[in-house]
Amino acid sequence: MLTFFSDTDCDITPKECAAYNIKLISMPYTVGEQVVYPYIDFDEFDSHKFYDMLRAGTMPTTSAMSEEAYTQYFEPEFAAGNDILYVHFSSGTSNTFNIMHQALEKLKAKYPERKFYEVDTLGISALCYNIVLEVADLLKAGKTAKEIVEWAKVEVPKFPMYFFADDLKFFRRSGRVSGLAATMGGFIGIRPIIHLNDEGKMVSIGKETGRAKAIARLVQYVEDLGEDVKAHRVVIGHSDCPDIAAEAERQLKEKFGQDLNVITTVVNPTIGSHCGPNAIGICFHAKHRMQG
Amino acid sequence: MQKTTQLDSLTFAEMLHQGAVQLGRDKKVVNDLNVFPIPDGDTGDNMLMTLRAGCASLPASNPSLRGTKQSRQTLFEVASAASSGMLLGARGNSGVILSRIFAGLAKGLKDMVEADAKTFAKAMQSAVDEAYKSVPVPVEGTIITVLREGAAGADANGDLNHYFETLLEAMQTSLDHTPELLPVLKDAGVVDSGGAGLLSIFRGMNDALNGNISDEEIAPTTASTPTVELDKFTENSTLEFGYCTEFLLRLMRSKVDLGAFDEKVVFDYLNRVGESVVAFREGTIIKVHVHTFTPGAILNEMQKYGEFLTLKIENMALQHHQSTNQNNASFKVPPKKYGVVTVASGEGLINAFREIGADEVIAGGQTMNPSTQDFLDAFAKINAQHILVFPNNNNIKMAADQAAELYKGADIHVLPSATIGEGYYGIGSIDRDNANVEEVITSVTEIMQSVVTGMVSTAIRDAEGDQVSVRKGDYVGYSGKQLLSDSLNRVEAAKVLVERLGAASRDVMLIFFGEQVPKNEAESIVADLQTQYKNLEIMLNNGQQPIYDYIFVLC
Repeated sequence: MLTFFSDTDCDITPKECAAYNIKLISMPYTVGEQVVYPYIDFDEFDSHKFYDMLRAGTMPTTSAMSEEAYTQYFEPEFAAGNDILYVHFSSGTSNTFNIMHQALEKLKAKYPERKFYEVDTLGISALCYNIVLEVADLLKAGKTAKEIVEWAKVEVPKFPMYFFADDLKFFRRSGRVSGLAATMGGFIGIRPIIHLNDEGKMVSIGKETGRAKAIARLVQYVEDLGEDVKAHRVVIGHSDCPDIAAEAERQLKEKFGQDLNVITTVVNPTIGSHCGPNAIGICFHAKHRMQG
Repeated sequence: MQKTTQLDSLTFAEMLHQGAVQLGRDKKVVNDLNVFPIPDGDTGDNMLMTLRAGCASLPASNPSLRGTKQSRQTLFEVASAASSGMLLGARGNSGVILSRIFAGLAKGLKDMVEADAKTFAKAMQSAVDEAYKSVPVPVEGTIITVLREGAAGADANGDLNHYFETLLEAMQTSLDHTPELLPVLKDAGVVDSGGAGLLSIFRGMNDALNGNISDEEIAPTTASTPTVELDKFTENSTLEFGYCTEFLLRLMRSKVDLGAFDEKVVFDYLNRVGESVVAFREGTIIKVHVHTFTPGAILNEMQKYGEFLTLKIENMALQHHQSTNQNNASFKVPPKKYGVVTVASGEGLINAFREIGADEVIAGGQTMNPSTQDFLDAFAKINAQHILVFPNNNNIKMAADQAAELYKGADIHVLPSATIGEGYYGIGSIDRDNANVEEVITSVTEIMQSVVTGMVSTAIRDAEGDQVSVRKGDYVGYSGKQLLSDSLNRVEAAKVLVERLGAASRDVMLIFFGEQVPKNEAESIVADLQTQYKNLEIMLNNGQQPIYDYIFVLC
């Protein structure tokens, strides 16, 4: 048997996991002294409350998971004779995967027969969500884990995500976005446009003045880079700004037709700790991710 | 000057003592560097206490024994004794790292009776390795960088005096460079405190090496006579910084398999639950420094492995150190690249300018033009290579220009910001990472030119414009010298002004509402304008400025 794992950084909810038969790894964040494990410490993510807390000045942090925690997720599967397929958020944004691999090394010695298949989405949030659902489709269609790993080599680079946020202080504090100019652009409506490159790292690739132009630019990327856009999902992720997401959806459907398969997700709190409130990103199927 | 080609145990003991004496002299300066990002006791005091503990555990060092048979202690023995004294005495993040540095040094001097410059240089490399190992995630721009770059830049091809001379030079260069590596230092305008403390110690060691040994006692540390300011944490406080928690844990045979125990388990745990972790193992002792909100949890976890030898837990709110403005020439803080001076009135507007990056906001504006002296005073408060001045009014620019000519402490650049809006946008778009000042000025000027500012105020006399005719007491909207709207109703005057400023083709509008305007009026204008201009992003700020009921800035 094969057990399909994903994690909460991929925006997938327990309800969806149940529908697709996915086991969910909870990626923690810390508010003040409290470490919170999404969907373990709460059942439903009250995104409005969470992002309002960030608006009011709280800046949560995130941390890597322990070897022990990974072992607790994976070992029961191996012990039961199952192999694992884990579709996870970008290894380029966290060192948690180094720790995971340490845990796996030890498990491998203990369960030499068992296989661990890994799909690194090189993305966060809506991007991972899109790939998780693609993989779920493939499994349903009878593909093997090995075939999915081969598929991912070709297809993961074809799922880009372009995004921006209102308040740049979260990105700055997080330090995970390169190429951000050291300005106070957030105060004057200037929004750096950021994407995830082929190494799964966040890079700023330009800026727009005003939210309307920034949204238009995201939509423009879908038009310019898109490939078989309508044969795949377009996933819009937002951090508590449904109006902006709705406007992006409206523009996308205007360009691609009302039957465009648009799914809107709410950015999970762990990734939200890095992008802050009022961030929006669009993930779609493209010819390739932008270089740089 | 005496030249030392072989370092013996007595000289090294004297050097350690003199290092502590020098740090005692410099500790206040080192303490004062430690103001950001999170208060963590006093670096100078912590390092001094650590080094004192090292000196106190030296075998009786009697200079009169020099050259006699009784001075049989080897260099290694003295270095080891100092190192184990520091292990037990280490306090604070930088103290713990310091103790590791000397542990590494001792390791590098293993079995040495004496050491020449080359041998000592090798031992310094061992100190570097040990220091880097003591922190789970080495952060460059700190004490470890100063040590590493110092050791790398020192020249061991000569006597020890030459080695130390070049070592100090390289350390100083490295220390000066720390703000470039660590943004928090740059933001705070300081060099790294731990690095400064280390340099101070090595200066003292160098003095002793060159025969300059003072008979001073090592200065007492303030921490040994603690003055805890209990009022800093009251029943209404929130625990903002957590607890600085330090302990020595003896691994117990009854609890762990000592031979197989991997201390990484402890370190990984600490890194997950705490911050500013410095931890290392020496034999069966684990030394830990960690910041945490829940020390109890950590202590319980640690008892799974061993028992405590010493334990210290302090609320970091009480450690908060009052910084003083005393400057010391030896640790002069390098200037930041860009400083910003601007002019505004109204508490909200002044705060907004500070928030967006103005170092000094001179109170003033249309009716109160600041003097040349006001600008000079503002410049003097800023430690920057270049000071960019945004006068925000053509009537103020000349005073700024004049001050720019008179001032010699920095390169002053007066930018042509004629309105609050231009100034605000200009300051917000300064790329502080761009070292090319001409490029920065060009780009800021371009952005200011793309901004249009309009104001609503009350007319103090009748006037005729191209588009409106104004009666005294009317609300009038204008931009530059152009009268654009006029109404007995302030909201009406504001809306017409916004339309005539070309809001339909703009992307962003900032609004600063004045002290006469109720917030709900401003909010209702935003709601109406947002409906009218769907693509316009509107940002509302309470400027609390006098005279102008509304300032609209469009980009």
